[in-house]
Amino acid sequence: MLAVRNVRKLYGEDARRELALDGIDLEVAPGEFVCLVGPSGCGKSTLLNILAGFERASGGEVEFEGVPVRGAGKERVMFFQDAGAALLPWLNAEENVRFALRVRNVPRGEWPAIIDKYLAMVDLAEHRHKFPAQLSGGMRQRLQIARALAVEPKVLLMDEPFAALDALTRRRMHGFLLDIWQRTGTTIVFVTHDIGEAVVLADRICVMSPGPRARITQVLQVNLARPRELTDPQAGQLFKRVEALLA
Amino acid sequence: MRAAALFAGSLLIALALWQFLSTAVFNPFLIPPPLVVLKTAAPMAQSGEIFRHVAISLARVGIGFSVGSAAAIVLGVLLGRIQLVNELLDPIIELLRFLSPTAMIPIAVIWFGIGELSKYFLIFWGTFFIVLINTTAGVMRAPVIRQRAAQCLGASPLQIFLLVVIPSAAPYIVTGMRIAMASSFMSIIPAEILAADSGIGFLLQQSSVLLQTNRIFVALLTICVIGFIFDRLFRIAVDRMLSRYMSYVALT
Repeated sequence: MLAVRNVRKLYGEDARRELALDGIDLEVAPGEFVCLVGPSGCGKSTLLNILAGFERASGGEVEFEGVPVRGAGKERVMFFQDAGAALLPWLNAEENVRFALRVRNVPRGEWPAIIDKYLAMVDLAEHRHKFPAQLSGGMRQRLQIARALAVEPKVLLMDEPFAALDALTRRRMHGFLLDIWQRTGTTIVFVTHDIGEAVVLADRICVMSPGPRARITQVLQVNLARPRELTDPQAGQLFKRVEALLA
Repeated sequence: MRAAALFAGSLLIALALWQFLSTAVFNPFLIPPPLVVLKTAAPMAQSGEIFRHVAISLARVGIGFSVGSAAAIVLGVLLGRIQLVNELLDPIIELLRFLSPTAMIPIAVIWFGIGELSKYFLIFWGTFFIVLINTTAGVMRAPVIRQRAAQCLGASPLQIFLLVVIPSAAPYIVTGMRIAMASSFMSIIPAEILAADSGIGFLLQQSSVLLQTNRIFVALLTICVIGFIFDRLFRIAVDRMLSRYMSYVALT
């Protein structure tokens, strides 16, 4: 379980100090899919960076499985919007996955099987020798997913991962991510400013207030069967509710 | 094919212009025509005189450039990676880099004499700052996202440094080295003109004193050809060995 207790984050110095996050409380159960929704600049990404261990909270506690988070940990893998920057451009698809296994100290003998498995899972088996620059935006994101999953993280932290993709590709990626999530049982914390995305994906939607002094103002349990369509009246209702909370 | 034809065409235009300037505009003493230069070059090549000078200049450039690049890469990485080192050394570097190798010739001669050491030093000096500044920039610009991504996959700080930061900086380092090599070929000449008894620059100086414009032209032409060849060789070597680190720069 990932537990966030009264996390605060201060930015800047002295007179220009700003409280970006003002007491965030959140608990994410194993295998849960949680979406953090909020307007741009509300500190969603900051919160995710704190969960990943890239940044320290100015106050409060983040615990993973009862142990305080004190830096980046292998069990929490971050997934970035800019796959071009996150992947290693001088390595091809296969080598990017291999890189993850290497730095994770997975025994060498297991590499080929793991690489094959995850490249197949994200439909990139045929493109394994291509470099990131030779892949489309959606394919690059799938490669990033494969690389993240190959090290079998317990938590996947996703920072607006599909915001830069076109609408059609984004829809496909949603189906894809849900399928993989159901198969692997990975816990997912997913940050987005796209309400529709949150409604389609999440078990739970946490609505954040605009920053500075951002907080989680509302938590909505989503009990709709998947796959969900925004044209479905219940999904539509939920969409409107979140929209009203953000307005 | 087209590129080769255009290259040949460009050379032909240059030769025609040269011939025209030397016979019709100025006179053949001030600008010896191509054929005269060729006739002068032949015995110099046959006797090995020219190659001896070339070899000496190349050795000076080779040693100064290699040592200068190696030292600059090591220090550049430290500057790019350690904030304190950067803040302490950056102001000095920003001042010293305006001292061209030529400006350093007088003091180099006093420090190291007119032997090889002063030439190594001058080439080192010219190379060092160019490669240093490029290396520092490359290391500092290694994308934070790329490093964080590697970090949360489980990479240790050393692995992030060796497997992410250094390859990310490689295009900058190589570009700096290429500029530095061109500048080395330029700065070896004044060094040899002012303080040497061998090398292409010395050949220039000696021919000038004796008013042998034809020999001066042979030396000038040699500098062009050698510089060009080594720049191409450097590019080919980079393409062979580092293409995967270089190619993405244009693409991302």
